Amino acid sequence: MTATGPPARGRRLAAWLYARPRVQLGALLSAPLGWLVVAYLGSLAILFVNSFWQVDPFTRNIVYEPSLENYGRLLGTEVFRNVTVRTLAIAAAVTITDALIAFPIAYYMARVASPRVRGWLVVAVLLPLWSSYLVKVFAWRIILQDNGPLNALLAPFGLQGPGVTDGEIRLWITFSYLWLPYMILPIFAGLERIPGSLLEASGDLGARSWQTLRRVILPLAFPAVVAGSIFTFSLTMGDYIAPNQLSSVQFIGNVVQANVGIAGDLPFAAAFATVPVFVMIVYLFVARRLGAFESL
Amino acid sequence: MRGSTVTRIALRLATIGVLAFIYVPLATILIYAFSEARALAWPIAGFTLDWWGRALADPGFWAAMGTSLQAAAGATAIALVLGTLAALAVQRYRFFGREAISFVVILPIALPGIVTGMALNATFTSLGFGLSMFTIIVGHATFCVVLVYNNVIARLRRSSRSIEEASMDLGADTWQTFRYVTFPVVRTALLAGGLLAFALSFDEVIVTTFTTGGQRTVPIYILNLLQRDPSPVVNVVAVIVIALSTVPVYIATRLTGDSGSLTGGRT
Repeated sequence: MTATGPPARGRRLAAWLYARPRVQLGALLSAPLGWLVVAYLGSLAILFVNSFWQVDPFTRNIVYEPSLENYGRLLGTEVFRNVTVRTLAIAAAVTITDALIAFPIAYYMARVASPRVRGWLVVAVLLPLWSSYLVKVFAWRIILQDNGPLNALLAPFGLQGPGVTDGEIRLWITFSYLWLPYMILPIFAGLERIPGSLLEASGDLGARSWQTLRRVILPLAFPAVVAGSIFTFSLTMGDYIAPNQLSSVQFIGNVVQANVGIAGDLPFAAAFATVPVFVMIVYLFVARRLGAFESL
Repeated sequence: MRGSTVTRIALRLATIGVLAFIYVPLATILIYAFSEARALAWPIAGFTLDWWGRALADPGFWAAMGTSLQAAAGATAIALVLGTLAALAVQRYRFFGREAISFVVILPIALPGIVTGMALNATFTSLGFGLSMFTIIVGHATFCVVLVYNNVIARLRRSSRSIEEASMDLGADTWQTFRYVTFPVVRTALLAGGLLAFALSFDEVIVTTFTTGGQRTVPIYILNLLQRDPSPVVNVVAVIVIALSTVPVYIATRLTGDSGSLTGGRT
């Protein structure tokens, strides 16, 4: 592996490896698979196993007797059912909102803007992607507070922004804001990949603009929308910090997090955490079927 | 299809609207960083630089910066190695379960952070690992692998296998081929993936709260301020963090070309 003529031993090893592609493959894969499959999936499995234990109500110790009690409690308690439905509904609303907002700008970037403007737009969309999640949550806390900028702006019209009691709306706006770039970028890349000749062909065959959009562009861009939706949906579903900071609304994450501490009920938290995992695994399988993985 | 003039104007207006939606909240953060009043009301009563002095004089802030840089550097290094190995294996070989690899690689970033955090926490605790900087790095590396993997595999897909075969035919061994042929091809993809991984790790908060042994990264420092003492100091720290995180993401975008997609320039 040296720059100037490898030592003979390295050369012999290379020759030995060359004849054995399976060994090469094993050498390449052992570290990443060891990490992701053994360590990561192993950890998920441990969490899953945890969900079958109970906490003794008097001693607060964990009782290692497998049962489905936690899952029964989850399904049988109205509060937890509501939390689940609310979390999934807001995640779905955010995903749809982001897809609707993202499509026009992504289309403009991919097919209308000049290459120079396109370059700037990509940077403009990408830059705030990781400019601190917490900062953005805080920004919306400032904007939406009772004596904040939004209400000052709306007051002359006799309107009022969503207050603390409209937690769901606050979260819908904030999450749509937070994850929007995750939707714009895959759709942009997907639209950019559509060969211009297809659109011309559609026009030549007599399709109007909106027909081309509906029959050619949307079907071809759909996998990219699904790719973006993986992030908007999953990131909303798993969050608990924004609900905490902006509202008194409980998400799955809030219930899980409240149960993780010393006074909590880790097995129950683990059981509740399997809900988003299950939803996401199904989501990913469907997304892969729809070709979304090629658009990530 | 560039559409009619009306369509184009509508699209341009929509684009401007979305950019405003993206940047107005960030501008709000910036403005309040200079607000005289502690409470973040509108209109702003007066302007001051006091909060900047306070934030910059806080040793907790600098300590958090150091911790975050360390964690991000460690996680990026691991992600670079694992992501490259996995990408080479998937792109250059055919084997059973090959399709599943992309699934496993993306899982840590697609599953909610709280699940990854809890799972790692439960594992570390049950194995008797004390939570420390090491466990933070392990947690971050797990979801950073996908960024390097996607960048490298996109580059490998575009490069032809035949240049490697040519190198071998000309007498280069496996190492030399990697060093002189494969590595130069993926170099900028590695840099881009690494920078994105660094930025992602630097911003991560949920997994960190489950894997930290008391170390305070910048996001945890900000979260503590938000929970205990929200004042314009948070805005100052936020502005600094935004300015800093801009650099790696900007460079990464330039490196992957203009069609850089979210997890790397897959064109």
